[in-house]
Amino acid sequence: MKKEDTVKLISAEGMEFVIDKEAAMVSQTIRNMLTSPGGFAEAEHGEVTFPEISAVILEKICQYFYWSLQYSRFGFFIFYFLGSVSCFFYL
Amino acid sequence: MSNQKKRNFQIEAFKHRVVVDPKYAEKTWSILEHAIHEIYNHNASGLSFEELYRNAYNMVLHKFGEKLYSGLVATMTAHLKEISKSIEAAQGDLFLEELNRKWNDHNKALQMIRDILMYMDRTYIPNTHKTPVHELGLNLWRDNVIHSSKIQSRLLSMLLELVHRERTGEVIDRGLMRNIIKMLMDLGSSVYQEDFEKPFLEVSAEFYMGESQKFIECCDCGDYLKKAELRLNEEIERVTHYLDVKSEVKITNVVEKEMIANHMMRLVHMENSGLVNMLLDDKYEDLGRMYNLFRRVPNGLSTIRDVMTSHLREIGKQLVTDAEKLKDPVEFVQRLLDEKDKYDSIISQAFSNDKTFQNALNSSFEYFINLNNRSPEFISLFVDDKLRKGLKGVSEEDVEIILDKVMMLFRYLQEKDVFEKYYKQHLAKRLLSGKTVSDDAERSLIVKLKTECGYQFTSKLEGMFTDMKTSQDTMQGFYASHPELTDGPTLVVQVLTTGSWPTQPSITCNLPAETSALCEKFRSYYLGTHTGRRLSWQTNMGTADIKATFGKGQKHELNVSTYQMCVLMLFNNADRLSYKEVEQATGIPASDLKRCLQSMACVKGKNVLRKEPMSKDIGEDDAFFVNDKFTSKFYKVKIGTVVAQKESEPEKQETRQRVEEDRKPQIEAAIKRIESLIERDFLERDNNDRKLYRYLA
Repeated sequence: MKKEDTVKLISAEGMEFVIDKEAAMVSQTIRNMLTSPGGFAEAEHGEVTFPEISAVILEKICQYFYWSLQYSRFGFFIFYFLGSVSCFFYL
Repeated sequence: MSNQKKRNFQIEAFKHRVVVDPKYAEKTWSILEHAIHEIYNHNASGLSFEELYRNAYNMVLHKFGEKLYSGLVATMTAHLKEISKSIEAAQGDLFLEELNRKWNDHNKALQMIRDILMYMDRTYIPNTHKTPVHELGLNLWRDNVIHSSKIQSRLLSMLLELVHRERTGEVIDRGLMRNIIKMLMDLGSSVYQEDFEKPFLEVSAEFYMGESQKFIECCDCGDYLKKAELRLNEEIERVTHYLDVKSEVKITNVVEKEMIANHMMRLVHMENSGLVNMLLDDKYEDLGRMYNLFRRVPNGLSTIRDVMTSHLREIGKQLVTDAEKLKDPVEFVQRLLDEKDKYDSIISQAFSNDKTFQNALNSSFEYFINLNNRSPEFISLFVDDKLRKGLKGVSEEDVEIILDKVMMLFRYLQEKDVFEKYYKQHLAKRLLSGKTVSDDAERSLIVKLKTECGYQFTSKLEGMFTDMKTSQDTMQGFYASHPELTDGPTLVVQVLTTGSWPTQPSITCNLPAETSALCEKFRSYYLGTHTGRRLSWQTNMGTADIKATFGKGQKHELNVSTYQMCVLMLFNNADRLSYKEVEQATGIPASDLKRCLQSMACVKGKNVLRKEPMSKDIGEDDAFFVNDKFTSKFYKVKIGTVVAQKESEPEKQETRQRVEEDRKPQIEAAIKRIESLIERDFLERDNNDRKLYRYLA
């Protein structure tokens, strides 16, 4: 993966997840974050810190991103995936 | 494993930290307020999106959305007021640039702010029906900057100033204009319309009112239209470059009204350069321009059409009543055709083949052609001229073109039956004298007439052709059955069916012995094969070829009329004959005889007879001799042609009378038909207008 195509997501504990930008931008919030004009810190450095999200959750989120990219065209209901976790995230 | 294990699992809501800190909202808001400041100050790179987003999110979640929103409004408003001041401070032309720059800054900031406040935008705002962040930002800009008292009027006057400068030929910064106008459009169509478009249209109307006044005083029609067209195109171009596309039709309406509609009549009737002059001089480009400009305004085209129609009728009327022109019918018809060609050309090249103009042309021609009641006769004479000699050597396609043009004139005639009468006469003369240039052309015209008017119209004409053909066969049969006659004078008979041919009074004269014997043989041959018919010789219509030897031995072959032949043959048995003797011997009616003698004794180059006295007129006491001194360059000399001529006044009266009589039975038949339809309740008379009939269901 090229550096320019990736973004680093950092959990509350400091664990770093390096994923494709395309995957990260499944989240509208992250998309806004990275494409907002004016150069917020995250876009400048290509790193997003989530001080309130634990590594476990963040890992699951990253898996969801990739799953979403792969299966989004089949219109799967999100429930089938969420069924395996018992938490709620703001995405 | 317990048997009481739950089968369905539940998703529990995420439990947030309970807010303990009473100043939580304050603290959180001040972080965000600070961030907004930094954003407006171009200092965003130090900020963490995630942190700001989270804070905004938390505020909304903990029911502090109200505070967040009102804080946003206040902060933004404060910033915009400052921005306003800095724009006001800009001098002269820099005003618009500063405005544009600040607008771009504001947009960027607005987007960033909206991004971090996205959660509020999606949840709090719809729930409370407040204005979304982006729209809020635009509204605040509009209220605090654009509509600030010091900026609003200055902005408008600068924009109008620039437009005016461009109209007077200066180059302006179109990119800047486009951005400013786009800003107004983004702020809402009512802003664009009230703060720019309406005043723009008013000012433009004044400008063009002045322009048109200035031009119309000093330009001729063609130049004025060129200028109007230029201005119109300029405005359309202006719209594509920096105005809202919806303004195009509005501004073009202004130009059209001020420059064209208001001066329409003056332009069309302008002396020396108006519509009539353009028509006379075939100014296709100017006419085309006028057409394209006038079609944009109400009644524009109808104005052009009306003036063209009345002009056409005027010159048409002059044409058909000008005594000079009427002296030569062929010339007259040619002039008509030329005029039609000219206007066809104008309509196709300048008026884009507009059907309404074509109709106006047709109705005008129909009007003036029928003003002169000799038009049918003249058109027939024109055709006669063409079929006798005019079409000699012309290609087949060109022949068709000319005949089609004749048909076109024919269609305009109201008295088509008059035309038929004359045509029949002229055709008869052509056929009998063998003087037609092309049989194909003759038949082609008959077919066209048939297509136009039906079988009835041309049945007799076709009968005439048939008679000619049949006569040829008859002559062959005659000579085949009388082989002993092949050494004598050759007889050619055309048997004409009465009714197909124009009625002629049947006049006989005394034929010379050789001829009359031959004629009798033919008569008995013909009646032998066709029982129940009657033959009468039309001696006034025939021709003869005679070989003559004159005093000095010069031989000539003379082509003469039958009457002339009778007269000449007398001189085989006499050297001198008086008028009275000739009259008695031949039995030719007096007026015809005088004409006949005149053509042989008084016409230079054809004077095979000598007359004493040598006066021009034939007197009852004149004496005639063979002119032994007769000379001619040619061996074959033609005397006595039977050319179709313009009718004299009494002849004209006679023809017209016959036409009227022929119409009577047709009209009576039509009346009878109408009466029977009324009786049988297919028609009824209109109650108010005695001239109107109505169809009944």
